[in-house]
Amino acid sequence: MANIQFKGIHKSFGSNKIISDFNLEGKEDEFLVLVGPSGCGKSTLLRMIAGLEKIDDGEIFINDQRINELHPSKRQTAMVFQSYALYPHMNVFENMSFGLKIEKRPKEEIDSKVTEAARILKIEELLDRKPKELSGGQRQRVAIGRAITRNPKIFLFDEPLSNLDAALRAEMRVEISKLHSQINTNMIYVTHDQVEAMTLADRIVIINKGNIEQVGTPEQIYNNPANVFVAQFIGTPKMNILEISEENIISENTIKLLGLEIKFNNIKFEKSKHFIGIRPEHLKVSYESDFNFNAEIDLIENLGNEKIVYIKKDKNQLSAKIPSSAEITNIIGFNIKDLLVFNKNKIRVNI
Amino acid sequence: MKTKNLILFTLISSFFLIFIVSIWKILATLQGLNIQNFNLQIIFIFGVLISFANLRIGNKIKDFYKSILFSIIFVICDGYLIQKLPLWYNIGIFLILYFFVNKINKYSFVNLREQHSTQVIFFEFLTLFGILFFSFVILFPFYMMLITSFKTQIALLVNPLDFSINFGQDLKSLFKSYFVIFESYNFGRYILTSTIVSVGTVIITLIFAIPAAYAIARLNFFGKTFMSTSILIIYMFPAIVLVIPLYTIFSQLGLRNSIEGLLIVYTATTLPVAIYMLQGYFKSIPKELEEAAILDKLSWFGIITKIIIPLSIPAISSVALYVFMIAWNEFLFSLMFLDNPNSFTLSRAIQYLSGDAETPRQYLMAGSVVVTLPVLFIFVYFEKYLVSGLTTGSVKG
Repeated sequence: MANIQFKGIHKSFGSNKIISDFNLEGKEDEFLVLVGPSGCGKSTLLRMIAGLEKIDDGEIFINDQRINELHPSKRQTAMVFQSYALYPHMNVFENMSFGLKIEKRPKEEIDSKVTEAARILKIEELLDRKPKELSGGQRQRVAIGRAITRNPKIFLFDEPLSNLDAALRAEMRVEISKLHSQINTNMIYVTHDQVEAMTLADRIVIINKGNIEQVGTPEQIYNNPANVFVAQFIGTPKMNILEISEENIISENTIKLLGLEIKFNNIKFEKSKHFIGIRPEHLKVSYESDFNFNAEIDLIENLGNEKIVYIKKDKNQLSAKIPSSAEITNIIGFNIKDLLVFNKNKIRVNI
Repeated sequence: MKTKNLILFTLISSFFLIFIVSIWKILATLQGLNIQNFNLQIIFIFGVLISFANLRIGNKIKDFYKSILFSIIFVICDGYLIQKLPLWYNIGIFLILYFFVNKINKYSFVNLREQHSTQVIFFEFLTLFGILFFSFVILFPFYMMLITSFKTQIALLVNPLDFSINFGQDLKSLFKSYFVIFESYNFGRYILTSTIVSVGTVIITLIFAIPAAYAIARLNFFGKTFMSTSILIIYMFPAIVLVIPLYTIFSQLGLRNSIEGLLIVYTATTLPVAIYMLQGYFKSIPKELEEAAILDKLSWFGIITKIIIPLSIPAISSVALYVFMIAWNEFLFSLMFLDNPNSFTLSRAIQYLSGDAETPRQYLMAGSVVVTLPVLFIFVYFEKYLVSGLTTGSVKG
């Protein structure tokens, strides 16, 4: 039960500006995922909340309390590190109870908290093992358990699944999701993996070069990306972006795209460069679409349930995601409602 | 390719056999055994035959029986048929042969057929040669020291080159030199002084080195790089340059002939390397562990005592071992600063005794054994803490 608020956060390492003027307001009990490419400053933000990194300028509030100067241990946050950071010389129980022991809490309270956390994470039988005797997934559970015993108002996850293999990652993703619904606390989760972001988040914050590109629910981010960066960052394969030069803007609402004349009802085009985005999954191999064009097929990747088809039309390279059952022909089609229009600054026009 | 490998293998193994048997024969001669002839040709022929027969038999007989069989054949030929030699010598030969046959058991026609097996054979035997040769070179002086300490004055004067130990005498006279150095030469006191000085140096050095190394490894402060690089500069001054000014200073401060004085000097000389070794290890401890500890409300002091020190036990024990050995064996400063026999350390005491023409040599050697043994035992005991990898399991791995 907490809400977090960032007001004009700035951070730089030396002359290297990492974060500039970061503003965000969290909601109660929400699962907030910060996602962005490597080096965008998302981990730095998390470390600033935890108190491991100094805030150069701006303020962070937790429940309207300014935490800039608070000692890391007094911020009522608990962090799960990417590398787990378990104390190797202590067993699982000691690892999980260490913080409580430092606070000199009574033994019964420590015991009950640790067993409760162990029960939630199903690691009761591992309590007297040393970290080196655990597998990667178990270590990660212990690290989360250590965070739970501290009874934080906000959980901070710093790319917790990136050291696990693909199968375990999917499994732990579900576990973390369940954990959130079970203990109902704010969670801030940093990742560069868009699948984790899409599946876990109540709201996603997409960060690029220290700036927020878009904040929204997974559906909003996917269906209505605010700009080209967000559009291409979420979704695999990434969204096709086609450049429309000035000559191809035929009139206020008609453009020439892939040799087709397309008329939009709700947009007024300026006489300048534009970008059109279309997701690979919205390109189809059928005549039933609003528009069809003849394309040259470069390569087909078979993923089992679906095929990724790389196609070429004039100078444009596109990829299409097509169900395996569909027969692949040279005719590619799309619907007008699936087209996203971006202006010359790569900002979305038709929301 | 196959014949070349085969010839090489039999040649190298025969030379290896000659080498180890010769060492045993030399040792036996030192023990007073009269061996007229080393019979190198015969050993060589045996080496060739055994290596070849070993390959030929292959897996038809169990390795254990094969080793026993070859060893017995060799012992009978060498020790009874060619020349008659005592039982203890033959037992030694038997064990050597057993070791040898065990070593060559793993070679077979199959792996000699591989192209690179020449190199493998060559390097494996070279390693064995190296190990045996160097252990011989290193252990021989120690052996000299040991046997001299077990002799009487008369025996030493009669035949100084006799390397045997007379086990015929009773224990009391065998260890006479040791009783004498403790009874008449006060060695108990020297051992106590040396122990206090060495252990004291270890403790004081660690007390200073651990926080200093942690600061250099983790904290950012003004002049950090300069500090950390200049730590080792003290080693550019030869101790002999420092010892004269220190002598005058210590004389005026009244620190000469005192354990405190030695502790100060020893700590100063061992601290740089201790800090250098520890900071390297501290840097290898993942930073996230300390960050996790900060979130667990641990103070800086708590982080050092509860996280860093338990994880650095291998590094700390090797530093402790190093410091202990330096302090235990140190000679120059103790020579300069100690001139009252009541405050002598062991190495100073040995020097004092050897400067005295009347001290019999066997007592000196007994003293030297007493100086060497503790370091040896401590090393053997601490060795198990020197394993690395205590941090496994903390972070990704």
